[in-house]
Amino acid sequence: MSDFARQQAEFQRGILTGDDTVLGEILDSPREKRETLYGVYRYAYGSRLVEAMRNDHALLHSYLGDEMFDEMGHAYVKARPSEHPNLRWFSQGLPEFLKSAEPYCNHPVLADLAALEKALNDAFDAAEGPVLDLTAMAAFAPEQWNDLTFRPHPSATRFDLSTNAAAVWLALKNDETPPDAVTLEQPSRILVWRQDTTPMFRELPAEEAMMWDEAANGIPFGVLCEMLATYDDPDGAAARGAGYLHGWITSATLTAVSAG
Amino acid sequence: MNVASRLPNSMAAPERARESIKQSDKPPFLGFGLGLRAQHYDEILNSNPPIDWFEVISENYMLPGGQPLRTLDRICERYPVVMHGVSLSIASTAPPNFEYLQGLKDLARRVEPKWISDHLCWTGVHGKNLHDLLPIPYTSEALDHVVSRVQLVQDFLGRAIVLENVSTYVQFNNSEMTEWEFLSELSRRSGCWLLFDINNVYVSAFNHGYDPMTFLNGIPADRVVQFHMAGHSHMGTHIIDTHDHPVCEDVWDLYVAAIKRFGRVSTMIERDDNIPPLDELILEVNRTREIAGEFLVQLGKDSGKQAG
Repeated sequence: MSDFARQQAEFQRGILTGDDTVLGEILDSPREKRETLYGVYRYAYGSRLVEAMRNDHALLHSYLGDEMFDEMGHAYVKARPSEHPNLRWFSQGLPEFLKSAEPYCNHPVLADLAALEKALNDAFDAAEGPVLDLTAMAAFAPEQWNDLTFRPHPSATRFDLSTNAAAVWLALKNDETPPDAVTLEQPSRILVWRQDTTPMFRELPAEEAMMWDEAANGIPFGVLCEMLATYDDPDGAAARGAGYLHGWITSATLTAVSAG
Repeated sequence: MNVASRLPNSMAAPERARESIKQSDKPPFLGFGLGLRAQHYDEILNSNPPIDWFEVISENYMLPGGQPLRTLDRICERYPVVMHGVSLSIASTAPPNFEYLQGLKDLARRVEPKWISDHLCWTGVHGKNLHDLLPIPYTSEALDHVVSRVQLVQDFLGRAIVLENVSTYVQFNNSEMTEWEFLSELSRRSGCWLLFDINNVYVSAFNHGYDPMTFLNGIPADRVVQFHMAGHSHMGTHIIDTHDHPVCEDVWDLYVAAIKRFGRVSTMIERDDNIPPLDELILEVNRTREIAGEFLVQLGKDSGKQAG
């Protein structure tokens, strides 16, 4: 290893671990000791990353308050140093961290709230894609409908939350007192997507969530309706399927439809 | 890592290509600009404010899609744009990050910036990124390394890059030359242009106890293509480059000295935090323009011709 490389490794180690070895290679300034000057880098490291987390997770920050959020943020910084050149991706691992690290894992609403915010952030700058509109559907003859498959918009993602984090998110967003956190008997099924430039989310009924998941896997409309028939009233299955599909298209969650 | 395989085919004669980049024309004078910040998107798009050009933070747009890129496209239709990165990590001893470089190149293809700049610094090694502009020792070993890294990046991007002096808080005891000697030699050997951050010179000079004029006079005048003007936080014994305050009077004075030495240089106000309303920043942009106008005319009279 070159001397330059060794020095950089020690400089970095001093910031990440508090090791003082590199101070032996740093000069005092005319007005200040080297410990204080090097300390500017040490302080800036943690505070910059926690600040980025505050920006990415404004409502989790609001939920926890400054002190608890910053304590959690510094724990995350220590556990998962950034490995990506773009600060945009630093807090991507936060939901997983909150799900697994004490004491945060004892409060599952925290991981859920972080997961919801992460999904909305990801939808905000997700890849572009065409937006399917209703007129495209008119191109298909009725006998083709059973074979239609759908492609979600690149910004769309679906996941489950085990807690009432969505209600907490909504209350925080509206500057209202959030409800007490509770673990739900049935998971909350969330669909996140971007409508024009605005990230959106919606809680789906269990049946609609099932249909979305299967549609996203490329299952054709006819089979989707057969699945719906096993879920609820078989006679209304096709109408329910068409209703869900109509909602997806008008809210810009789909990017393409194809027949077979 | 096979570096050569990552370079474009046009690099079949790398020395010739490298020489061509080194001899490339000096970037044009753009006038008096501002750092583009998301807080001002709507106002800029709705009112077309009298700003000559914008500098954008490259990483803020190295994204898959959505509003940031769509807005940038619209800004690029109306204003000249320069890309300014914070993660090139040109002085890192870690292997080059070609994924990052490809992202930068892709963005440049979209933006068609007047130039691409970053900082003379490193941001991490061993797979970690500290997201800071970290200092280097000014040694011949470091210089050789950075020159070769700049050449590699310029070969990859197919254009000369622009590098900025950073604010530093520490100096290494093994430095063999001054920062301005390092920058001058780096620019001469690699062909990169220089972004002279006047606030950073002021901050580093105070922190290390030298005269900022010595720094200023040590930089070759023909290599500087851009000025940054910014504010900072004074801690008494040292200054921290926070970019969250208006430009202070001492830095305005140094700007006058920089104009006298470097002549007509594209100048911009860089505010990274505590972002004020656009009008406040336009006042600072106007001040950069007025001061330049005043002193360039004076210089023209002194020398019998218009500087520039």
